Amino acid sequence: MNGTDGADGVRDGRDGGPDDGGSGRPAGTAEPAGIGAEIEADLLEEELRQAAAVLDPLPPVLLQAAVDAYALHRLDAVVAELTFDSLVDALPVRGAEDPPRMLTFSAGEVTVDVEVSAHGLMGQLLPPRPARIEVLGGPRPGSSLTADDLGRFTGAAPPSGPFALRLRTGGDVIETEWLRT
Amino acid sequence: MRSGTVPSAAYDDVPYTRGGTVERTDVGALVRSAAGGDAAAWKAIVEGLGPLVWSVVRAHRLSDADAHEVYQTVWFRFAQNLGRIREPEKTGAWLASTARHECLKVLRNARRLTLTDDPRLLDRVSEDGTPEQSLLEAEEAAAQSERVRRMWQEFEELGDRCRQLLRVLIASPPPSYQEVSAALGIAVGSIGPLRQRCLRRLRARLEARGAM
Repeated sequence: MNGTDGADGVRDGRDGGPDDGGSGRPAGTAEPAGIGAEIEADLLEEELRQAAAVLDPLPPVLLQAAVDAYALHRLDAVVAELTFDSLVDALPVRGAEDPPRMLTFSAGEVTVDVEVSAHGLMGQLLPPRPARIEVLGGPRPGSSLTADDLGRFTGAAPPSGPFALRLRTGGDVIETEWLRT
Repeated sequence: MRSGTVPSAAYDDVPYTRGGTVERTDVGALVRSAAGGDAAAWKAIVEGLGPLVWSVVRAHRLSDADAHEVYQTVWFRFAQNLGRIREPEKTGAWLASTARHECLKVLRNARRLTLTDDPRLLDRVSEDGTPEQSLLEAEEAAAQSERVRRMWQEFEELGDRCRQLLRVLIASPPPSYQEVSAALGIAVGSIGPLRQRCLRRLRARLEARGAM
């Protein structure tokens, strides 16, 4: 507008209200100069979009991973949603360098508590019941665990990355919501 | 450093902007088809909205490894919930919001935090994405690639807020403001004015360097 916009610019960390006076007019009532600025902005944005497509494109391997993820769509599974995550819901433990990640998933009456640390994975299915458990890291079959009559299970720590448990108990299939360990 | 490998000629044939465009009005129908077993519909969703998810992840400046894992987690969760998405036409916003929350978890988990300054990681990304490098020969292409490189550098050096907003806005195909809002947790109404100011700021930086 006045040729010095770069100097006042946007102050990062502030909410971006139209506080630079006079620039807040609705697009429909813009003066010719305003229309020109709008077109200039669109062109610059498009040029930047093309630069991103060249210098920071979506890697093909990830495009393929998302296509392959369709195999994770199952009609027979009940999804247990994440209802507690120590990473978000708990205060950091003073002095604990690498505290275990505590997770709780819920689906109706069923609760799955999971603790992931560098040493391994342990957890409990409640109400207590035996189950066959598959530790998933993606669409391919994962490693298997067994929950005992009290619903308790232990296993090696899942590798860092996407993670879910598929539990088969009675005739039910329960899957914990995908998250990243 | 990487100026010799920037395929500016790829402008005319960037695989992520062509062929996979999901019309926003069709997303709901595609999601319903995919939930019903149509793998082609799923692929169309991925091609149309994958770049948006990638932009959200990149806007949060995750390391390459974190970015890859978050990106996959978002799609795994979407596949898992495919039949339960309440508003299929807002799938873009659902994906953007899920990506944002996973990014914030990564940033919170400081022990994992590394910036994308590792040149090996950057190289890996650029190798992944630029199969058209052999097209780069003409002087014109070299000048163009220099311009692209400079623009990207000025963009990277914008303040965090502008860099983050623009990184999401320049996903291809361009996201809706609802999707941008979901990606960054900012009100739809503030996006337009902020966008204008960030682009002005970028232009001023480019002009100051004599690059416009």
